Amino acid sequence: MSSNAWPWAYIFTTGFSLGSFYALVALGFSLIFGIARAFNLAHGELIVLSGYLAFALWKFCQVPFLLTLPLCLAVMALAALPLCLLLRRLGEPYGLNTLVVTFGLALLLQNLMLVLFSADYRLIRPELPGLTLPGLEVAVSGSQILLVLLSLLATGAVHLLLHRTFLGKALRATIQDPEAAQVAGININRMAFIAFGLGGMLIGLAGPLYGQNMYLFPTAGVDATLIAIILTIFAGVGRIRTLLVGGWVLGLVESAAILAMGSRWRELVAAALLLALLAWRPEGIAARKQE
Amino acid sequence: MEKPHWSSIGPAAAALALAVWPLVFQDASLYLQVMGMACLYGTLALAWNLYALSGAVSLGHAAFFGLGAYGSALLSHHWQWSTVATIPLGALAGLAFGILWNLGFRRLRGVYLGLASLAAMEIPKVILDNWDSLTYGSMGMTGLSKLPVLTLGGWQVDLGFDLKAQYYLLLALVLATAVLLRQIMGSRWGWALRALRENETAAIAIGIRADRERARALLGSAYLTALCGGFYVHLLGLVEPPLVFNLHLSALPLIFSIFGGRRLFYGPVLGALILYPLEQLVFQPLFPMGHAGVYGVVIILTIFFFPQGISAWRGLK
Repeated sequence: MSSNAWPWAYIFTTGFSLGSFYALVALGFSLIFGIARAFNLAHGELIVLSGYLAFALWKFCQVPFLLTLPLCLAVMALAALPLCLLLRRLGEPYGLNTLVVTFGLALLLQNLMLVLFSADYRLIRPELPGLTLPGLEVAVSGSQILLVLLSLLATGAVHLLLHRTFLGKALRATIQDPEAAQVAGININRMAFIAFGLGGMLIGLAGPLYGQNMYLFPTAGVDATLIAIILTIFAGVGRIRTLLVGGWVLGLVESAAILAMGSRWRELVAAALLLALLAWRPEGIAARKQE
Repeated sequence: MEKPHWSSIGPAAAALALAVWPLVFQDASLYLQVMGMACLYGTLALAWNLYALSGAVSLGHAAFFGLGAYGSALLSHHWQWSTVATIPLGALAGLAFGILWNLGFRRLRGVYLGLASLAAMEIPKVILDNWDSLTYGSMGMTGLSKLPVLTLGGWQVDLGFDLKAQYYLLLALVLATAVLLRQIMGSRWGWALRALRENETAAIAIGIRADRERARALLGSAYLTALCGGFYVHLLGLVEPPLVFNLHLSALPLIFSIFGGRRLFYGPVLGALILYPLEQLVFQPLFPMGHAGVYGVVIILTIFFFPQGISAWRGLK
């Protein structure tokens, strides 16, 4: 992208599109954590798996890219449900046990993807028309537009679901206080099931988008998991607008850091932000009681 | 642990068997190599378990391992010091990171500590990866000096190239660490750490200084892990960031400890001695690419079916 004359416009467009996507990545993690109380360290691996699924469909079965999105969505939603049933059987300490089990799942998935797709870097390259932003001379690729549109659409849909429907009310009640929700007649096991289903759908949607904007490789998921954790800590659970703002900030900081110091320092930005958040706001992630 | 003399017979017999088998089977270089690495990973798992005694589940011990590895590699590369000196001195880098870790994560517990440790590994990794003038960046360093030749009264032991000698070195390392852990777990300090794991408030109420005891456990664990890193790079003769700072190295001690059982001092070693050879000798020929995935399966099954680890079986009867 020849944008050296306009670094700020470039930073804003990449930061904004990346950030919207980060919010989408974090949303599934945050729903599963908030409602089912399960830490899913395999979150990023599931996203990458969904990306590989889309890649295989697109490359080998000649499925048009846009059609892979609903397919991946359905497959990952179905895959997340057994995970919910599996994690439900864990004993105390529940949080730590889910952390260790999903860590094992992440290792398993990484190796599985290594066997199935090898360690080569893959990218989905659909032909989408791009455009140049009027007045800014920043070229925006079609995949970036799709990324922003679908990320915002999905986060918006989840926001509406949580705030405009009866089911959403029940889900929010479970986030706030599972015991009180149970007393009020909410089946929190069913809510956990729904959370995994929703999370699986978001993972399924994020995968193909990941594959067409960033390179897929078997260990790519660790980064995505870190981002999901960072944003969930930053925003607290179930607060989608804050999640979006956090995603944009992270996207902007990252793209500025890449421009200033080179892409090899990008990983450090995410890790340093996570550590800073944990040091200053460790209660953020558990902000279920009150704000 | 109510019958201490009984409970040490099993481990002692196992240690003897580990010491004797290379004398019986000749020409077993593959097995010597695999069992030697299993001993190294056993040491790593013991070191991890020292910190885990206080209830901390670390997902970032590769940071200590990698810093010990780089510390030793840099000292021997830039100053041509003998590895006898660089391994223990280089491991101080891991200790220094342990001090930083302790300052930063003192207030974190449980899941949050796990998450923080996961992220903490990235920091030394990215810095060493980008500090080209010192570490040659992602190219890494090759041709590092091997372990030296020891001369003991006219009897020469070539630790650099003789696989059998290397195996005995690593076996001695794991046995010494196991004995150390046994002493620690029987000491007041060991019980203080376990009291912190079970109930921190109650432990503080009976006079245990939580921060200090936990910090000591972390620093001990960090230094031991860093030592393993030093041995590792000089055995291999090369080092590069992804080789020593990877999730796999953070995962292995956790998996071995949980599989073997964290309550008994030899549990982590047992896990390493069973799982690592199983993975290398059975699963690697079967699945040349993704054989490490078996660890994922093992840890999931362990948490579901033997949350106390396999060494707790005897106690269940």
